[in-house]
Amino acid sequence: MKFNPKTLRKIVLDMAYAGSAVHIGCAFSIIEILSVLYKNHLRYPENNPLSEHRDYFLLSKGHGVMAQYACMHELGWLSDDAISNYFFNGSDLKGLSDSRIPGIEVTSGSLGHGFSVGVGLAMGAKLNKTNQDTYVLVGDGEINEGPIWEGAMFAAHHNLDNFMVIVDENGFQAMGKTQDIIGLGSIQSKFESFGFDSITVDGHDEIAINKAIEKLRNSDTKRPKALIAKTVKGKGVDFMEDDNSWHYTRLDKESYRDAIASINEGDV
Amino acid sequence: MRQALSDVLVELGKKDPKVLLLTGDHGYALFDDFRRECPNQYINVGIAEQNMVGVAAGLARSGFRPIVYGLSAFVPIRVLEQIKLDVAHDHLPVIFIGDGAGFVYSHLGTSHQSTEDIACSRVIPNLSVYSPADRFELTQCLSIAYRNNSAAYLRIGKADRGDVHQSLLNIKSGELIQVKKEKEGRYSFIATGSMVRTAIDVADKLHNINVWSVPFIKPIDRSMVEKICHNSEAIVVFEEHSKFGGLGSLIAEIASESSPVKILHVSVDDQFSQKCGTYEYLLQEHELDFSTVHKKVCNYLQSV
Repeated sequence: MKFNPKTLRKIVLDMAYAGSAVHIGCAFSIIEILSVLYKNHLRYPENNPLSEHRDYFLLSKGHGVMAQYACMHELGWLSDDAISNYFFNGSDLKGLSDSRIPGIEVTSGSLGHGFSVGVGLAMGAKLNKTNQDTYVLVGDGEINEGPIWEGAMFAAHHNLDNFMVIVDENGFQAMGKTQDIIGLGSIQSKFESFGFDSITVDGHDEIAINKAIEKLRNSDTKRPKALIAKTVKGKGVDFMEDDNSWHYTRLDKESYRDAIASINEGDV
Repeated sequence: MRQALSDVLVELGKKDPKVLLLTGDHGYALFDDFRRECPNQYINVGIAEQNMVGVAAGLARSGFRPIVYGLSAFVPIRVLEQIKLDVAHDHLPVIFIGDGAGFVYSHLGTSHQSTEDIACSRVIPNLSVYSPADRFELTQCLSIAYRNNSAAYLRIGKADRGDVHQSLLNIKSGELIQVKKEKEGRYSFIATGSMVRTAIDVADKLHNINVWSVPFIKPIDRSMVEKICHNSEAIVVFEEHSKFGGLGSLIAEIASESSPVKILHVSVDDQFSQKCGTYEYLLQEHELDFSTVHKKVCNYLQSV
């Protein structure tokens, strides 16, 4: 079965260990969301990441890109070598998403960009009268960025019901807890008040995520959609969960081995 | 010049239904013709320039040809990162028009004045930078930007200083345009935008001056610049832009590599405007008015 969360997390660990890369926690909180999207929703005709008829998935929080690489590996878009040679000199896959890699739509890392580009893609699909859907995944810390809310107003004003934002609400940003840095309050209420249909869901429950996306998609309103996914940063490895140091910490031989063991023994 | 801008936009919009005009709630009256002729191709994105550029990038990815309009203090300055990451990085065909460059908004103060936009935009890879001097150059620049099908920034400064050319030009992208030619041209004036008029006026008071207009800041025909530098005893560069990173810097960069020559920079010093006043008043404050420039240039040419 493709897109098994345990498999995806192990690919992330393999990459992070190979490249001595950071941002493991950022990738682990979005594994189930990506699994559901790639498994059930994103349409890539002929499995072509560059198909002009594809749906658009924009990872606006580029810090979670290893989770996307893992999915792209499952799709056959990335080779085994691309995973095992992560961060090697002359390699293509960077620590933050780069749009020159087929399958990645926007260059992120500087936050708050992907949302607006996604809004433009959704508007383009409307103007072109295609049935393409656009999904943009943002971090909860990322919604500190002003352009997110500029884009939200625009999407609602123009009835972009083919646009869905998914918020990875893991409660952390780079320097600590979101509530201690810029309190976000109810993210769902915020998007509701900006004119979105919205649902909050357990971001690690694949069935619930899938149902919520379907429900939002099947809504008969013209409003854009917001899925708020309550997640755990570092999910899947017991000693990484809710420990923000795994935003920055690199794996060594021992922690890599322990992390793999934790995934094997864990429920998710 | 503004009518010429409107005319070209209408022409492009009518010719190509994929052309979309995006504005950040700026351009009052300027777009009346476009809105009448191409009502479905006009989007007022609201006072949200960052989102406007991201949306333009998404639309360009969907096969559209967005033309993004703003004041040059905001487009490109406020949205430089969006231009870099969302547009230029991916070679998307978005044309940015920055209006009111320099001291056009003389009464409104620093927020609406723009003397850093050339410096900031020309360092972005894949982004062309144009700075027309009159309606004929503007028409040519915008047409070339559209034909090139890539990202471009078009700087529009003071728009009512009169024509520099007699008629529509037939020039290639990158070319400098000679607007005053003397048989015994010992010195060359190289100017862009609003200051081409000043360069011509100063040259008319002197002798042996060739004057060149530079509508294409990037890419620029380097060999033409080298030739001009090689054939001149001294150069004066005129621009309503900071002395850092603009046309003067560009000419100096090229000259220093292959054709060293003395260069006087007639440009904006490293300071913001201090006072309120007319456009002419602001030019005086920044020592860019005709009489100050004339004096400065005479002194310089006597000293070289």
